[in-house]
Amino acid sequence: MNDMRKNFSDENLNAFVDNQLGAQEREEILAAIAEDADLGRRLCTLRSTKELVRHAYGQVPAARPPRDRRFSLWSGALAAGVALVIGVLLGWQGHRASQAGPAGDAFAWVGNPFAAQPARVLIHLDSSRMERMEEALDMAEAYLAKAGKAKVELVVNNSGLDLLREEATPHAERIARLAARHEMLAFVACGNAIARYRSAGLDVTLVPEAKVAATAVEHIVDRVQQGWTYVKI
Amino acid sequence: MQWLQSRVQRELADQIEASRARLYRLAFAWCHDTALADDLAQETLSRGLTRLEQLREPERLMSWLFAILNRCWLDHLRRRHVEVDDEVLAEMPSDLPGPEGYAERQETVSRVRTAIAALPLGQRQVVTLVDLEEFSYAEVADIMAIPIGTVMSRLCRAREALRGLLEPAAAEPRLRSVK
Repeated sequence: MNDMRKNFSDENLNAFVDNQLGAQEREEILAAIAEDADLGRRLCTLRSTKELVRHAYGQVPAARPPRDRRFSLWSGALAAGVALVIGVLLGWQGHRASQAGPAGDAFAWVGNPFAAQPARVLIHLDSSRMERMEEALDMAEAYLAKAGKAKVELVVNNSGLDLLREEATPHAERIARLAARHEMLAFVACGNAIARYRSAGLDVTLVPEAKVAATAVEHIVDRVQQGWTYVKI
Repeated sequence: MQWLQSRVQRELADQIEASRARLYRLAFAWCHDTALADDLAQETLSRGLTRLEQLREPERLMSWLFAILNRCWLDHLRRRHVEVDDEVLAEMPSDLPGPEGYAERQETVSRVRTAIAALPLGQRQVVTLVDLEEFSYAEVADIMAIPIGTVMSRLCRAREALRGLLEPAAAEPRLRSVK
């Protein structure tokens, strides 16, 4: 270890490699490299490491594991589209609310349904992951238990449709039980999602409790405009 | 829904679509699990879009979104590891599987991902935010809500550990050639 080397900490050299130094500090290191081969090697190693990390994630595996491959072509784009539409709408609604109502709580009705009075809650599920499905049903049940007169709709699209497909749902009994106990609970399937499943060659038989909306997005938009609380699982 | 047709909406849609891929890639670098990374990216977009009004400086959209991704990731970890505070989290050793399952053709890619997966979580986040997303140290500090000094020390330790793990590769001349 020579004197020059002691002058530059690892933090310094990393910052150099990441282009985070000011002009003067940068200059000092550049000047020192000429006289310190070891410094040059340290910088080279750091830069190699950085390049290796970039290289390792230059291409990453597709967003869905192979078992879901048949939906991978559209699920990502569709999910983003739905999120966008809903997001834009909520943003717009929130904006309007913040102009009309008291400042600062424009999003209160989006975030904390338990705080709102007569609960009208739309729960949106777009995933067939087991824990998401359960979370959606748990949440529906929680709202119904919390507020006696709550109106709850569980709207599914994308692979979330599986919750209401007799061919796929692990929760048929629970859905039947919940629907029998709670008049104000509705299960709504996205017509688009059903069409997509069918065009992918899959059977879709909905559980008897399910209704169908033309599209989930339009249904959600309608509900939100009617003042429903929107909860995305 | 005609309002979706406007130019502004399309631009927003483009931006959102573009950031989905970036969010997914970084989430994948953190968790090496395609389904989880997809969920984290989706959750980030959902949260981001429903809170778009809270974004005060539109030019900071990306670091704002990545900060949300960080919170989604921490929420996920906390669901798995109850009562883990930030410091412990930062030092928490990885329990991730290596990327063997992804049938990588490229040996180097596989080796580097294995090394990344071996880093403590906090280090892995910092090094990928800096190297993959090219955020400044200040932005990373902002995204992860940690002091900039912590960003730098984690980055140092991460690169040092990676160098150690990748040593045999680094010794090969072809890997030392950088543009």
